[in-house]
Amino acid sequence: LLGFKSVNSCSKKQVALKRMLNFNVPHIKNSTGEPVWKVLIYDRFGQDIISPLLSVKELRDMGITLHLLLHSDRDPIPDVPAVYFVMPTEENIDRMCQDLRNQLYESYYLNFISAISRSKLEDIANAALAASAVTQVAKVFDQYLNFITLEDDMFVLCNQNKELVSYRAINRPDITDTEMETVMDTIVDSLFCFFVTLGAVPIIRCSRGTAAEMVAVKLDKKLRENLRDARNSLFTGDTLGAGQFSFQRPLLVLVDRNIDLATPLHHTWTYQALVHDVLDFHLNRVNLEESSGVENSPAGARPKRKNKKSYDLTPVDKFWQKHKGSPFPEVAESVQQELESYRAQEDEVKRLKSIMGLEGEDEGAISMLSDNTAKLTSAVSSLPELLEKKRLIDLHTNVATAVLEHIKARKLDVYFEYEEKIMSKTTLDKSLLDIISDPDAGTPEDKMRLFLIYYISTQQAPSEADLEQYKKALTDAGCNLNPLQYIKQWKAFTKMASAPASYGSTTTKPMGLLSRVMNTGSQFVMEGVKNLVLKQQNLPVTRILDNLMEMKSNPAIVFVVGGGNYIEYQNLVDYIKGKQGKHILYGCSELFNATQFIKQLSQLGQK
Amino acid sequence: MAVDITLLFRASVKTVKTRNKALGVALGGGVDGSRDELFRRSPRPKGDFSSRAREVISHIGKLRDFLLEHRKDYINAYSNTMSEYGRMTDTERDQIDQDAQIFMRTCSEAIQQLRTEAHKEIHSQQVKEHRTAVLDFIEDYLKRVCKLYSEQRAIRVKRVVDKKRLSKLEPEPNTKTRESTSSEKVSQSPSKDSEENPATEEHPEKILAETQPELGTWGDGKGEDELSPEEIQMFEQENQRLIGEMNSLFDEVRQIEGRVVEISRLQEIFTEKVLQQEAEIDSIHQLVVGATENIKEGNEDIREAIKNNAGFRVWILFFLVMCSFSLLFLDWYDS
Repeated sequence: LLGFKSVNSCSKKQVALKRMLNFNVPHIKNSTGEPVWKVLIYDRFGQDIISPLLSVKELRDMGITLHLLLHSDRDPIPDVPAVYFVMPTEENIDRMCQDLRNQLYESYYLNFISAISRSKLEDIANAALAASAVTQVAKVFDQYLNFITLEDDMFVLCNQNKELVSYRAINRPDITDTEMETVMDTIVDSLFCFFVTLGAVPIIRCSRGTAAEMVAVKLDKKLRENLRDARNSLFTGDTLGAGQFSFQRPLLVLVDRNIDLATPLHHTWTYQALVHDVLDFHLNRVNLEESSGVENSPAGARPKRKNKKSYDLTPVDKFWQKHKGSPFPEVAESVQQELESYRAQEDEVKRLKSIMGLEGEDEGAISMLSDNTAKLTSAVSSLPELLEKKRLIDLHTNVATAVLEHIKARKLDVYFEYEEKIMSKTTLDKSLLDIISDPDAGTPEDKMRLFLIYYISTQQAPSEADLEQYKKALTDAGCNLNPLQYIKQWKAFTKMASAPASYGSTTTKPMGLLSRVMNTGSQFVMEGVKNLVLKQQNLPVTRILDNLMEMKSNPAIVFVVGGGNYIEYQNLVDYIKGKQGKHILYGCSELFNATQFIKQLSQLGQK
Repeated sequence: MAVDITLLFRASVKTVKTRNKALGVALGGGVDGSRDELFRRSPRPKGDFSSRAREVISHIGKLRDFLLEHRKDYINAYSNTMSEYGRMTDTERDQIDQDAQIFMRTCSEAIQQLRTEAHKEIHSQQVKEHRTAVLDFIEDYLKRVCKLYSEQRAIRVKRVVDKKRLSKLEPEPNTKTRESTSSEKVSQSPSKDSEENPATEEHPEKILAETQPELGTWGDGKGEDELSPEEIQMFEQENQRLIGEMNSLFDEVRQIEGRVVEISRLQEIFTEKVLQQEAEIDSIHQLVVGATENIKEGNEDIREAIKNNAGFRVWILFFLVMCSFSLLFLDWYDS
């Protein structure tokens, strides 16, 4: 029973971070402990790692009074220990040495996100000596946390320098060997850190002849080197790591993006994937631009500024956790339900107000009063909970409304349905050309996506004449044709490989009129938006995993080299829901939505 | 899993030191270095603020230790109050309560003082933020320790209330004929029927005090042989009844106290909320006042505009009339 709960990399990471923030001593929650305060200094990498996991409030709870960027102007604050969490790069080390010379803080706890080299350590030692601050450097740690966990079972390599490891960087034709080496090293470093944190040595499986294989080979080498040195091995560590995975090593499946280019372009219908696709969403934060509505502003008045709002969608948000994988109409209904239950609770609290007026002399009233004071106290103390609930409901109402607006404007449900049909090779009722030429169905990008999916999934390429027709229609609609160039090349390349995998069978049942009637009661009037029911289908990545996972329930980690997205993640989660006792983690070198991917494809197609 | 490379760091420091010595670079390395370090550290302002903050924290720590130490006695002794008065009398408990309250008040005053002083000399934004946060932590600490205290208190009060509820389920003690010897105390005590009337606090205590010496004298004064068995029995029953009465009075008082404590807690919460709202209402008030001013000015402006308009019209009219008169005049002049 030890094994499976701790495949939760998110909580492991949180534990590691909290420990680091507590001066590298395990953190115990003591309600009557004395407050200890400290200052946290991080660089952008550190910020990306910490921000999805710990909110500002949680940082406060750990005793952090200030959190500052390494390369900002920092004033000396006497008598305060400082915890650094940075990458061991040249500039960072220089800045740290400068801090030591300027004697900004009382003591320094240095934590490096990935391992620091000996020479850089000596640089710091030099600066510390020069500043006579050697005793002030209290602890130095290699944290091995060079990856970003977004969810309990999903992680991404990095955010700051993601162009370095993007799909484009790996697949561009003019890449030199040294550049490829650098990219691979970065990926392997992060993966290595990931397994150190997890405390397990994986069994590695990969597809041949791809970038994934290069990563696999390097990672294997690194792990072996580390294990060989038994004394200093990172995997026979204290407490948790030892022996836990000795009989159940996790399975690492390294997959290359090129086996499935259709999924990143796919229009989607589940909540989290939609938010990622349609709104500005990264590192668990969504940025909304709130338009001021269609009010009639009097002529001559200043136009109202659109205010931007950003929301954090965290594991603490119960509604999000429950519904991030649900199809969108379900989400709309659930928001309604939550709103209703919240209102009921609010009424309950209001009702207790009237009981306060009850003041009796007789015994019955007095005992009832004391019960009611208890009730009242409990109601008042549950107010913060209620307020939190209200905040979440507001948040999701706003987000869902924004998503709905996009869906309606771009007719995303039509695209989704059509693409599902294409990908499952059922007959199409409308011709592709019609949809592309339809002026008010979606942006040019949507049409490009649709066409690319069609191109990728057909067994035989369309004839020249057809292709010209399509190209013309696309250019008329305003699309850029560069991605198509690249996809043509890619298709030619992979023709020798196995036929593009079919995407399984699926049926979508548009519930049309009935759904409209059902939904008129709800706030989200989804008229004209079909209530599509998703049938379970397995994407290629899931199918590969399925083949590799034997009957034993090893925890499995799927890593996509070249980029991944929420659709695949959701598919894996759904797949694993049916099977008891199995755990899957999903990781990718970068996380992009269709817009970003198309941009990369068009850049590739230009060359 | 993080790797502690502090030792590696210290080793690197040594290597660098020896290397610098070997190269003859005297950048503060070597023996002077350590002395320099000590020397350089002392003139650094130790931070008046932080030393005072730590003082406050140690005070609160003392309070916490004190509360925790006596906590067991405080709560535990309550289960056997009737047979013996436990290791802690109620007066002692009250003393603890009072002391704790005074202590808490002084601590919170000290924190307030620190808060006002903290922002005086310092100009840096970051240091100000840091200090505010530190003070918040200290306040939070104080609140947690106070919670210890109020939890204890609440447990004590709750037990009394529960006991009272339980005692209500027992049959009412039946009235007995009173013995003349004990009639004095009995007449002083309120009648048993009015068990529910909340009695004043001194009353039961006075009676308690009186019964105690009397019971004492009873034990010493008369020898056992002189009391007849019926008398003994009656006295015993009398005693039981009296004890029951005293207890119930006691309990009532405690119950009231409990209710008052609850009410005060609720009151606290409400005051907090009301104060919060007050700030918001103030700002709304300001806004509204500003808005009324603006509207008034707007009205004035509109009035003026209308006047100007009207005046303008009058002038135009006048001009036209003059023109027509002049035309008529010219026409008459010419003809």
